[in-house]
Formats: sequence, C-alpha cells, structure tokens
Amino acid sequence: MSNRKIVIDPVTRIEGHLRIEVEVNEENVVTEAWASGQLFRGIEIILKGRDPRDIGLIAQRICGVCTNVHYRASISAVEDAYSITIPHNAEIIRNLVTLALFVQDHIIHYYHLHSLDFVDITSALEADCAKAVKIAQQYHENPYHNSQGHLESVKEKLGSFVKAGRLGLFANGYWGHETYRLTPEENLVHMNHYLEALRIQHDISKAIAIFAGKTPHPQNLVVGGVTSVADMLNPQRLNDFMFIIKEVREFLERAYIPDIKMVVKAYGESIALGEGRGSGNFLCCGGYRLGNNEQLFAGGVITGHDFDAIEPFDPAKITEEASRSWYENNPPSSPYDQESIPFYTDLNEDGTLKSEGKYSWIKAPRYEGKVMEVGPVARMIVGVVKKSKVIKPYMDRFMSDTRMTLIDFSTSIGRNAARAVEAQICCDYLFDFMSNLIENIKYYDETTWTKYVFEELATTARGEGIFEVPRGVLSHFVRIEEAKVANYQVVAPTTWNASPKDATGQRGPYEEALIGIKLSDPSRPLEVLRVVHSFDPCLACAVHVIDTKGRELSRYKLSTVCAV
Amino acid sequence: MRIVIVGGGVSAVYLANAILQKEPACEVVIVSDESHPPYDRIHLCALVDKSQCVESITLDLNPKVRLELNQTILRIDVSAKRIFSEHAVFSYDKLIIATGSTPKTLFDIQGITNASTFRSERDSDKIAQGIVGKNVVIVGVGPIGLELLDTLMRSPFPKSITLLARKDYLYSQDLSREGVAQLREIFEHDPRIRIWFNDEIVDKRIQEDRITEIQTRHGVIGDPFLIFGVGIDPHITFARDVLECDKGILVNETMRTSDSDIYCVGEAAQLRTSGFIAGRVKECTLQADVAISNMLGLPSKSFTQEVSIDGLKVGSFLFADVTSPTYDPKDTDNETILISHENRIDHYIVNHDLLKRFIGINTNIDLIRLKQLMEINEKIDAAYLYSNRLKSGKGRLVCSCESVYEEELIEIIKLNAVTSFAELKPYSNAGRVCGRCKQDVCSLIAATPVDAAEAARLRSKREDDAKEADLARVRARIEKYNAIHPKNQLSAENLEEAMASFDMSREFNKWVSMITATMHLHPDFEEVVKEGVTKLNKIPIIWLELADCSGNSEGFIKSSHPKIDDLILKYISLDYHELLMAGSGEQSESVLDNIIKYDSGKYVLIVEGAVPLGLDGKFLRIGVKGETGHALLQRVAKNAAAVIAVGSCAYDGGVVAAAPNPTGAVGVAEALGRADIINLPGCPVNPINIVGTLLHFMMFEEFPKLDAKNRPEWAYGFRVHDNCERRGHFDLGEFVLEWGDEGAKKGWCLFQMGCKGPYAQMNCSQVKFNEGTSWPVQVGHGCFACGSGKIAFDQYANHRPLPKENNE
Repeated sequence: MSNRKIVIDPVTRIEGHLRIEVEVNEENVVTEAWASGQLFRGIEIILKGRDPRDIGLIAQRICGVCTNVHYRASISAVEDAYSITIPHNAEIIRNLVTLALFVQDHIIHYYHLHSLDFVDITSALEADCAKAVKIAQQYHENPYHNSQGHLESVKEKLGSFVKAGRLGLFANGYWGHETYRLTPEENLVHMNHYLEALRIQHDISKAIAIFAGKTPHPQNLVVGGVTSVADMLNPQRLNDFMFIIKEVREFLERAYIPDIKMVVKAYGESIALGEGRGSGNFLCCGGYRLGNNEQLFAGGVITGHDFDAIEPFDPAKITEEASRSWYENNPPSSPYDQESIPFYTDLNEDGTLKSEGKYSWIKAPRYEGKVMEVGPVARMIVGVVKKSKVIKPYMDRFMSDTRMTLIDFSTSIGRNAARAVEAQICCDYLFDFMSNLIENIKYYDETTWTKYVFEELATTARGEGIFEVPRGVLSHFVRIEEAKVANYQVVAPTTWNASPKDATGQRGPYEEALIGIKLSDPSRPLEVLRVVHSFDPCLACAVHVIDTKGRELSRYKLSTVCAV
Repeated sequence: MRIVIVGGGVSAVYLANAILQKEPACEVVIVSDESHPPYDRIHLCALVDKSQCVESITLDLNPKVRLELNQTILRIDVSAKRIFSEHAVFSYDKLIIATGSTPKTLFDIQGITNASTFRSERDSDKIAQGIVGKNVVIVGVGPIGLELLDTLMRSPFPKSITLLARKDYLYSQDLSREGVAQLREIFEHDPRIRIWFNDEIVDKRIQEDRITEIQTRHGVIGDPFLIFGVGIDPHITFARDVLECDKGILVNETMRTSDSDIYCVGEAAQLRTSGFIAGRVKECTLQADVAISNMLGLPSKSFTQEVSIDGLKVGSFLFADVTSPTYDPKDTDNETILISHENRIDHYIVNHDLLKRFIGINTNIDLIRLKQLMEINEKIDAAYLYSNRLKSGKGRLVCSCESVYEEELIEIIKLNAVTSFAELKPYSNAGRVCGRCKQDVCSLIAATPVDAAEAARLRSKREDDAKEADLARVRARIEKYNAIHPKNQLSAENLEEAMASFDMSREFNKWVSMITATMHLHPDFEEVVKEGVTKLNKIPIIWLELADCSGNSEGFIKSSHPKIDDLILKYISLDYHELLMAGSGEQSESVLDNIIKYDSGKYVLIVEGAVPLGLDGKFLRIGVKGETGHALLQRVAKNAAAVIAVGSCAYDGGVVAAAPNPTGAVGVAEALGRADIINLPGCPVNPINIVGTLLHFMMFEEFPKLDAKNRPEWAYGFRVHDNCERRGHFDLGEFVLEWGDEGAKKGWCLFQMGCKGPYAQMNCSQVKFNEGTSWPVQVGHGCFACGSGKIAFDQYANHRPLPKENNE
C-alpha cells in the first residue's frame, strides 16, 4: 500500500479554478483520480426574479471565454419559452458569431493553452532553421509563414527573450521532460505558429466584433433577434468579415491542421496505447441549420465506443445529481426540477480533497444514468457514424492522411485532432452562412427582429436553449412565473466532462481518462495535464446550481475591513 | 465594512462624507426616498422663488458613496441586518437612520392639488407652480412659515398671503411683543399680506381635488393655496416595530439605538435621557460626529447639546437667535431685558444673571461673544449689555460655523479680489460647513466691489501658480526618468512639449495615438522612451484570477497596440497568469512564491474577478494547500509595488455581487481594505486601458492621475454619451424605437431602447473595442454602463430607459 496522492492546483492554461488529484501506485501509474471545481459564484441565483428579457447580459458573464454562447443560449431559452421564432437573418448573424467563436476558441485552446504540453520551447532554440523549413513542408506543401528568414527571426526573438533572463509565462514549464517527443525543428515550427496564432485569434475577434460590437462579452442580441442591422446592411462590414475569415482559413489549412498532423505522428505511441481514453460514451445535440436544411452538426448518443449503434439525443433523459458535490444530496432529477442547496464540507486539514466524500462545486449530469463525454470529439465521431454530408468528408480526408481510425480519436491526442478538423469545418461553413445572408438581403429581407408585445406574452412558461458550443453540449433551462425568472439552470460542456463521481461510483470523464496514465516523474506531472487539457476545461461555465426555493446559500457576514 | 445610511438630507451627506474621510475603505450607501440626490433643505425657499434650481443646492457628496434614490424603506430585519424597500433589499454591517422628519398637516391633503407642506424639493415645486394668482394661506408661524412668507413677499405671483397664527406670537413664544409687532409691520407693509392671530381653520370646502374655500375664525378665503408649516414628526414609522421609540427613535449619548448596530441622528433621534430632539444643522452634524466615532471604534465621544446660533433666513431684516442648552422656558426666574432703538431690538433672557437666550432683530451685536458668555457661565450685568448695543465694528455674524463676520468677509473679498464663491475657498471656509449662510456669502461677494485690474492680476497669478505646479510635476518626472534611465536622458528644454505629451487627461488623443503607434510619443521622445521601456522596464507582473470568468484575460490577449506577443516578449514580464502560463500546480506555485520573495516591492499585481467573502472565503480556493482566494490576494498584494483591479468584478464585485450577492463578493479594494488600488472597471475592461496604465507606469514609474474612484482620468474622465457617434441624433430627437426599425438602420440614438451611455464614465465611444472595430452602440444595442460595477447588473443591464430620468 504505497499509493500516494498528487495534487495539481491550480491547473493552469484553462479557464477557471480546477484542481486535479490523482493517486499513483509504486509504478507511478494513476489508479484513481478526482477532478474538482474550486469556485462557486451562483450566477443562476442572481438571475432569479429578473425580467426574462434582461437575463442575456448577465447569463453571458458565466464565462468570458465561451462568452457568446451563454448569451445566445439564455436568450434562446427565453425565446423558446415564449415561442418566439427569430428572423432568418438574425439566426444567420448569430451563427456567424458563434462559428467564428468556435474557430477562435479552438485556435487559442490548441496553441496557447495546450501546445506547451507537446512543445518544448527550450528545444526550439537548438533548431536548424533550414531543416525546419523542410520538415514543415512534409505536412503541407506551403506551410504558413515558414520561410527560413522568418524562422530565424522567431528563433532570435525567443533566444533574446530567454537570454534576458525573465521567462515570464514560460518560467518553470516542463522543459526537458522525457515525454516530449518533437524534434528541435518541429518545436520551432510550433512556436512560430504559437506566435502567429496570437495574431490570428486577435484578428478573429475583430470579425466577431463586426456583428457583435466587442468580444469578449459581445452585445448584439435581444430577445427576438439581433441589433446589428446597420452592420448587416453595410457591404463593407460584410466584406471585412469575410476577408478576416479568409486569412484565418489560410492559417487553419497551412498551420493548424499540419501542426496537428505532426503531433499525431510524433505521439503515435500515445494514441496506440489509448492514453486519455474514457468510457466511450459520447453525446451530441447537433444543430446549426444550413441553407439546404442540413445541420452543420449531427446529433446522437453513442455508448461504450459502440460505433454501430447510435441513439437519437433526447434532452428529457438528462438528469443531475450531487452525491459527491458540495450540495445537499438529492436523487437524480431533471434540470428543470433540480433543487440543490450548497452544502460545503470543506477540504481536509492539509488542503487535499476529501476523497471519499463530497469534493467539487460541479454537479454530476448523467444521460440515462450514464457519464457522457461531449465536445469536438463527440461531434466528429457522431458525424462520421451518422454519415453526415458535412463532417464525414473532412474526417475521411484527415483519417486517410494520418491513418487514424475512429477509436483513435477517443484519446488525448485524438481529441485535439477532432478539434482541429472541426475548426476547419466551422471556418469553411462561415462562407456558406454569409452567402445565405447576402441572398436574403439581395431579395430585400432586412428583418432582424421578431416583434412581440411583452405584456401580452404568457406570464408562466418554460423553455430551453440547447446548443453545440466549442467544448460540447450547452443547455440553458428557464422557468418563468409571473413574468419573472422563477428558476434557471445551466448544464455546460465542462459540467459533463469535469463532473465528479456519482452515487454509483461512476467516474467523471476527466477522471476516467486519467486512470492508467503512467507518470515518468511524479513531481512534474505533465502526463496528467496532457489528458486534462485535451478536454479544453472551462470551469467558470461548469459550476452551476439553482435553489428553486430561493433559500439563502449560507449566512454570511461581510468582513469588516475597517479598523474597529 | 458596509454602512447604510437611510435619509436624504444634510445629515446623511455629512455622515457619508465624514465616514469616508475617516475610513476610506468603508462601503457607504445612502438610501433616500427622494428622486434627487441629497440637497440642502435650508435653501428650499430659493426653489420657490426660482433663484436656485435643485441642482445648485445639491450637497457635495463623496463620489465613492453609492446613492440609492426612490427607495422608501419599509422595514428593518435586525437579525439578518437588512433593510427593505418596496423593490430592493440592502444589507448592512452598520445602519444609520437619518430620515429627519415628516411635516404635520392639520388634515389629510393627499390628492389635493392646492395644498402642500414645505419640506422637499417636490413641495417647493408644487408651491411655486400653485401660488400664481392665488390667495395663499400659510398655517404656522415658526421659522419655516416666516421664511416662506418672506420669500413669497418678494414674489409678484400670489394674489394675497394670509398667515394664520394659532396664538398671539410669531417665531417663538419667547419673542417679545415689540419683536412681534416689528415683524408684523415689516410683513404687512406689503398690502397683499395679513397676519391673523388667534386664528385657525374651522372649515373648508373641497371640490374634487381642490380646496375652493377656507373658513377661519376671522373670515373666509376663496380660491386659496394652502401651505402647512405647523411642525414636524420624526420620520420613523418603519423602525417602530424593531427599535425602542418614543417620539423619535431612542438613542443613548453615543447616538446608538436599542440595536447595537443601528445608530440614529438628527430629527429622527430622541435622546433617551433628556428627551432632546435636534432641529438645527449644527446639532445634527455634532450627533453625526458622535455616531461615527463610536461606530468606527474611534476615540469615544458623547453628544452634548451646545449653544446654538440660529435665526431666520430672510431678506427683509436681520434676525438672530442664540440659545443656551440650559435654557428652560418654563423657569419662572427668567428675566427679560429688552433694548430697542429704531428698527433694532436686542432681547436678552437672563436667569440669575446668567445669559440664557438672545433674540435680536437688525442687531449687530457680536453673537459669538454672547455664545461664549453662555458657555463660560459668566455672570453679566445689564450695563454691559446696554453698552454693547453700539458695538461691533466687525458687523453681523455671517457664518456661525466658522465665526466669520461681515466686515471680515468683505476684507477677505477685497484683499484677494474674490469674485465668486469658488474663488473664496482658499481664503475662507465661510458658507461651506453647514451651508446655511452660503447665499449670504454669495450676496456679499456680489455686493462687494473689487478692483477689476487687481482681480485679473490675482486670477492670472493663480493660473500661473497652477501652471508652475504642473511644470514642476513634469520636471520632477523628467528628473525621475533620467535617474532611472541614465542612458536615455530626456531633454528638459522643451518642457511645454513634454507636458503636452505626458499629461494624458489634457492630451488624450495624443496618448491614444501613442498607444496605437506602440508608444510613439512626440518625435523628440520616441526613441528614448522606446529604448527605455524595452530595455529597462521589464516589470514582473502577477495576474491573479479570482471569482471571474477570464473575460479580462481573454480581452487582454486581444490587445492591439502593442500586440500581445510583443507585449509579453518585449515590454512586460507576465510571470504569473493562470490562463497562459506553462507550469501548473507545484510548478506555478513556486513561480508565485519566488516573485513574492525576490521581487518584493517591484512586481505589479493585476487582479481579475471578485473576492467572495461568504463561507469564510471558501467559495474560492486556489493552490495545492487550498488557500482561499481572499487569503491569496492578501498574501500577494502585500509586497506588490502596485495593485490594479481589472474589470468590474474586481472593482466592486460586479456581476458576481449583483443582487442577492450569493457569495458575499466584494471588489479588491474592499477585500484588502486599501484605498490605493487602481481600478480599471469594464466588463471586460478594454485592454487599451490596461496597457495604457502599464505603459504609463513603465515610463514614469508612477501611475496616471486618478479620479475619486481611483480610475485613471485619461480613460475614465469621459462620459460615453458625450463622445457617442450617435449623439447628433440624440440632440435632434431622432431615436430608435424598435429593434431593427428604420432608425436602427440609419444609426439613430438608442436612448429610448435603454442605452445607458449617459450614465457611463468610460472611453468606449472614443477607443472602441477589438482594434477600434466596433462597440455596443455601433452594433445598435446600446451601452449598459458595464464599468459602473454591480449597479450595472442590477439597474442598467436592460433595454428600458431608467425610470423618471431627466437627462441633460
């Protein structure tokens, strides 16, 4: 019994406050894992009692990374409750912003939040630039910003940065870790794109701002439609949007996809070992109507990696429970009926999680009682299994280039591959949505808002806004009574993926994926980060609670900061 | 500590300002049932004759005070420490009741259009509107009734004015018969005015909502406008259930009520021992001082009545009243000494040779001397009083708070060529303490001729001094810069240019272009500053995320000029930032510990997110040891060279602290109890404002000039509305009235769709977002003043104009 516990807190390069604890045996193999959300804010409680028309601007603040999607889902939930159908133009503008966000989010996630798990920047300084140019060309005939001169200047920039002595963000990384697999030249190619990606994500944010006013926290939605009608009617603005997206498409094709292929090749052994594989249950709600009435994403549910059987998605089968979360125990129930009262049982004296008790602010959502993984990998696998006309061609091409099979995507590396392919799909289909918008305007459809008279709407209603968003399925549920929000509930993608264990002992997806991972150096647990980061955690989204009876969360006393 | 003050008058404002002066870290909330910010009731008469508007009698309130208007408090829950209005709940750590009093009426005048009390701006307005061409009836002869009568006397609008006195005196039972006669003569000199003594209303006729006729013992008055000035009751109904009350809320000598966390001052408070209820401003402010000292645990004070100097605020004569706290009107040993000469009456009330009260009409006696006589309890003789009637070269007492006499003030005005109240400030505080004599002081300034040439000379000297101070500041900055950057000396020759480039509030556009052009300052400085910054100023930065959504971090990495890659590789050393840093867990923790240890006093701490204090801070835990967010913040802030709170959550809790603030979240300044936190609110903050503030620090090793809420003036000294691209449509009255309507397509003003730009102090309309691409008004949505903090999420985040708003 020489098992010991390793605590990783804060898990950095994610949104929010996540703690991971793993138990390892003598061989340093993970035998048990706990994922814990360490921040509770209670945005849903703040939403209660408000005018349903106003909740978008507050619900949006659930997350500043997935910022637009909570805005949209909350407003859609209210529209659903009131049976308001928004104009086609409004739907397209919402889609343009959402899909641009998918692309931006995936790029930031891979390069800035995740790639340092694969890329050793200190090794990049030893690269031979001429060789690096050639290596990049193995993955694309015309790699993005890949001239020898450019790579020299990147190397010099990094070199002088390192020489100056302050490593800033890169201080105390896992440099030199024995599981880094890229050559110095491959590392340099990645670092080059790390810096380019900083500029690209900045440019996408400009595209988003054209219709959304700003990002993070856009401000262009209202119940019934969108407000950016003047921008929609301005050809220069439409053009600006497309020009940015075109440049982004170049980056995806010539940098992101080739870099992922490079990592797939270098970490082939990790894929073969199935590192980061979970229970194989995948959930998609599908969505985003294309012009031909196809959906961009197919919906469906797969269990136990059984790619021959796929069930349709039914939101009524979602339940939540909290036997291991910091809320009072309740039997699993539908989010509409959830009643959870915070019940904080604290950490152990030494600051570790109470492994046998409650240990997270995240609740445990289940689908027909089962743990589900959501996100790009679920969407890409479901898309292939359902022979989606949109997804399958992209996946087929990628699989033939890399010789990956479908099961290979259910790994840490595979999640990244699925995410990259999805970014490419979203980016390409932005052009489809834009041409639909231009068609509408061409035929004088300038409507962006569906008129309603609030005082004449039902005073009691309930609705839901369920969307595929960058990290998976997002569901907002609203119940309206006396024309005010009576109950609000969010089940976010990270709620699914970072969920804790449940009453039956099922591990959450992060936890399950960590089992069996071998650590080469437990004091530098890079392998654990690689698994957790592959899910793209977003903790601010994940922690949600609602108390249907409006009870106070706890009695608190504002601290006395004045000298007394 | 969160202190809630209920009330909207002089006491409330005095309390709020004094608390923040003593304890700047307190959160102070004023909850008032009026729709205007607190104003000085003393000047209500000026509203009736329209010599002032309510804005001009508005009291100066520390901008850190949160003001909640239109909130009538209905009840107090002392166990939960909350107060409730119809729409809102306010929690408090300490509560101070300063609700004053409600005016009495002799019958219910609710819904009657031509009857009013005289207590509020609303009343003044009603009176000013209602008296035109009417037979005005004032019931009550106390100071309120007399001051109003004096005001109306000088108004051409009333057809007639009748003052009803229930007995046979005016002002006070103590006023001598001579005094009453003189006042009567002064008033009735106006043929429209008559004073009926021993009279009262015996009947009235009301049709619908109007009184058509009033019948008194003396006669019938038709087509009247009735004003009650008959007295006041402490305004305390909401507190009666939970606090011990008599006429007012009972307080001990520390002004504490029967609940240890609730204090009461002013007209609502009744001293338990003596039954005393304050009526004068000075008494209210004394009580406020006592309450604050005891509440904040400062050296203890207790309230004792002082000699009061008071009088009537009238234009037609001078009227002064000095009363000792030991004066007992029922004492049979009281003697009266009356000295009258022409229109002057000096009336002394003496008890066993001790002066107890003085009432003077057109007197010029030294009131301060009389006050001293009462205070030292010195026996006086009649001869002294008689000889004193001629006295006083100093003239009448103008400001009793500051003991400034008329002649002294005129001297000051002349000597310093003062031509406005504002210019007087450096020389005398007269008129600025209780505010009662402010108009007097203004009139004196207006009436005192000053040498125009001398005034101009002094004014220009003052300007020169200010400019010299500015130049000195710039010189100091340059010296400092040169000391820090020995290789990159700035020339001190073209100081004017330097000042223009450095002073961001004045040269905002220059500053923006400086940021947009990667800090290209004035050509003279471009190279040296650039060199200096890149070489020498890689300041270590710790960026903590607390109860946040990472929105500010996401915004920061979208910074445009300089772009984020240059910023993190060249300009700053972003050593700890959970969203971006390579290491996790032990690795990131050791980075943090090392900076705190080795860069102590050098690193800049940037904090994003609110600080949850509920559950002992355990709603947020960070790090291997499970430190609370609050503890981590305190630990890291301790040795930081500066702390910058970015985003609205870090400012005051923001959306996380929106009602009902489930986690007890507060902003960084409050969590640390510090007044030196730099605030960059916004949801999220525009990265330009972070970068600009950092660049300023890097260049000058000091932060830009801050406003009262500790926000850099160069970024927050602007109102969104004033610089809005749609402002022209606002001025033309062209409004979007429905989403997507023709106005929306043409870019008309969004005010009617709930745009809160008029309430937003930010630079969004100038710098926009995402490299100037757009901003919420440009996409047709409107602003919700996200940088105002939590109030934005409780009151502004909707698509409706604020209720009953009179925007400019």
